[in-house]
Amino acid sequence: MAYKPQYGPGTSKVAENRRKQMNPSQKLEKMRDVTDEDIVLVLDHRAPGAAYPTAHPPLAEQQEPDCPIRKIVTPTDGAKAGDRVRYIQFADSMFFAPSHPYQRTYTECYRFRGIDPGTLSGRQIVECRERDLEKYSKELVNTELLDAARTGIRGATVHGHSLRLAENGMMFDMLQRSVLGEDGIVRYVKNQIGEPLDRAVAIGKPLDEKWLKAHTTIFHSLGGTPYRDDKEYVEYVQRIHTLRTKYGFMPKE
Amino acid sequence: MAKIERSQKLFLKALKEKFQGQDVQSETTEFYKFNGYHQSPRKEEFVKASRAIELDRGISMYDPVRNHLGGIPLGQRQLMTYEVSGTGVFVEGDDLHFVNNAAMQQMWDDIRRTVIVNMDLAHQTLQKRLGKEVTPETINEYLHVLNHAMPGAAVVQEHMVETHPGLVDDCYVKVFTGDQELADDLEPQFVLDVEKLFPGKQAEALSAAVGKSLWQAIHIPTTVVRTCDGGTTSRWSAMQIGMSFIGAYRMCAGEAAVADLSYAAKHAGVIQMASHLPARRARGPNEPGGLAFGLFSDIVQANRKYPNDPARASLEVVGAGTMLYDQIWLGSYMSGGVGFTQYATMSGGVGFTQYATAAYTDNILDEFTYYGMDYIKDKYKVDWKNPSPSDKVKPTYDVVNDMATEVTLNAMEQYEQFPTMMEDHFGGSQRAGVIAAASGLTTSIATGNSNAGLNAWYLSMLLHKDGWSRLGFFGYDLQDQCGSANSLSIRGDEGAIGEIRGPNYPNYAMNVGHQGEYAAITGGAHFGRGDAFCFDPRVKICFADPALKFDFAEPRREFAKGAIREFMPAGERSLIIPAR
Repeated sequence: MAYKPQYGPGTSKVAENRRKQMNPSQKLEKMRDVTDEDIVLVLDHRAPGAAYPTAHPPLAEQQEPDCPIRKIVTPTDGAKAGDRVRYIQFADSMFFAPSHPYQRTYTECYRFRGIDPGTLSGRQIVECRERDLEKYSKELVNTELLDAARTGIRGATVHGHSLRLAENGMMFDMLQRSVLGEDGIVRYVKNQIGEPLDRAVAIGKPLDEKWLKAHTTIFHSLGGTPYRDDKEYVEYVQRIHTLRTKYGFMPKE
Repeated sequence: MAKIERSQKLFLKALKEKFQGQDVQSETTEFYKFNGYHQSPRKEEFVKASRAIELDRGISMYDPVRNHLGGIPLGQRQLMTYEVSGTGVFVEGDDLHFVNNAAMQQMWDDIRRTVIVNMDLAHQTLQKRLGKEVTPETINEYLHVLNHAMPGAAVVQEHMVETHPGLVDDCYVKVFTGDQELADDLEPQFVLDVEKLFPGKQAEALSAAVGKSLWQAIHIPTTVVRTCDGGTTSRWSAMQIGMSFIGAYRMCAGEAAVADLSYAAKHAGVIQMASHLPARRARGPNEPGGLAFGLFSDIVQANRKYPNDPARASLEVVGAGTMLYDQIWLGSYMSGGVGFTQYATMSGGVGFTQYATAAYTDNILDEFTYYGMDYIKDKYKVDWKNPSPSDKVKPTYDVVNDMATEVTLNAMEQYEQFPTMMEDHFGGSQRAGVIAAASGLTTSIATGNSNAGLNAWYLSMLLHKDGWSRLGFFGYDLQDQCGSANSLSIRGDEGAIGEIRGPNYPNYAMNVGHQGEYAAITGGAHFGRGDAFCFDPRVKICFADPALKFDFAEPRREFAKGAIREFMPAGERSLIIPAR
């Protein structure tokens, strides 16, 4: 029987949203149109239009060892070209941001190739070859995985995910990389590491509260879906724990 | 699981004090208007002190405006004070870094400078090999000599250098025994009287466990272990013990029997507070990495002072343990600086203290734990205020899962309902440690089984991670997501009962935010049963000593005193340095 991913347990809306984000056969809703150049500006790994710096010669130009794994795995475009490995990192507010650290990691693992995600409580980083990164970043920024106010693109000093929101609805950012304009548009005025940009990068309006609560992937008892209410989810985690405990004894069955 | 009502919120007072004039349940607030670090009197003091130092030494130092993020200093949001849990004392976060807190330093100094040495072996040598008489009178005489010698004075040789008593006033030796008749015959100044120090049932159990043997509780000078290391303690004490026996019993200084006394004091009859570590961690005995969790729970004396509140007793172990294991141990051997004080926003920076303090400030863990107490009373009829082995719940999978799940869900809901509390514990590692600790403590107190408590900890971690799709820093990926599998294992090299696990247990050795809580979970299993001790009755008695500089019955109160600069430590050098 062929393996069919289930993308996690749960009967709640949160569980359903999680499965949708992870499942690569489900198309993520496009919410905004940040250009390639603007993505490059926020990432700050190279100047727009500059050549990709390389870590090694293109694979076609270097002697590859006779390796069965290399024959099986098709290199990504960035790997083929010998690009550096660079990153994008997100901070997601616990006040109903669309995606959250482990959810991001699972989603990226299902949807992208050649990535190295890292998952913490206040940030989630994904590293990969630079031109692959720019492609993936565009999807991470332009789709329903991001909200302009409650998702931050932050390379360092990420602090904010668990803080109360500012009165204008923006997640705290000590460096104020993105600001909400009087026209209701959020603009990045600093790149992800916090250096001022020559020109602001608009990423659109924050999504409204109703949309966020309907699409979020975090359980939250204050106005959202209480974790306690998704009994299937809780029982599933208990089952995993019990099985892991039993298997600490290396049972023979 | 089924949520129970609990109207009391122990953390509310702290939240209202920290966020004055604000609705502590509001989801929004204001930022970027607090004037940076100037909102903190302590950081203002740092700047002023640094200016004076710079003028004196000609080298730049603390300059948060220039050096923090290229001109954006700390304090773009409200910098909070902290209430040390269970004390009502509010302190600056900076004052809970062990560098800034003399009580924290002294707690560790008092452990590191302690060894317990058996006297029976030496007495057998004196009586059987040398034919000398040993009586209460000779023991008293020996203890007079030893309390002269232990701080660093000569007893046999001529023309010896000696230490200034004013620099080593914290050094002394007392004895204890389960033989009350013998204890009564010794000079009271030298005796740790078990019957007077412990509640009745505890005293009875401790005396029975120690029996008729006689032990010396030795505390060498703080300044010695600070200059040398914990491995020095047994060597320093053994040398002074040997010389004191020679002096008190008129022995020949070079006779072979002295070797027996030395061997007893250095090896055969010595109880170190911590075992030595592998070479790559490069510490000797009596250093924090070798201090087993069960033994640490015996060092902390809160169950002696609060025998009817196993939660309080456990929470004191959490406070002391996170300070020692996170702030001092992991904050030094694995990482440095100031990160472990709070939260590893930058690993190895200033975060480790932040991790640790989350577990003993603002009564947050206290509230979660007492919720657990209400739950086990309500559902399992555990009379936790009258600790006893008789009503402990059999730790089945269902029981552990139920307790851990309910305590975890409640704690998560409290963070959700009180956004200021989420802001208080702004790092996921802080929340994870606190929630899992409450789950583990509840389970260990209810079952009397430390490994069941550890198992509950790991379910809590898994539930937390899936509920909020986040947990702690990368380290939580390591032990907390595979811990279920080793939490009940006691196979050699793969596991152990909680009491003899320690900070160098393979999966625990590099992960802040756990070890102090594990120690408390271990202690909780015994406090919930009303046991007199967790691991070693001798250690429990030794640290009941009211003459110690640090009061191990009230570690959190002592830390608060340190933070507000009211704690007087040992090891001061003012006698031998120029007056300021």
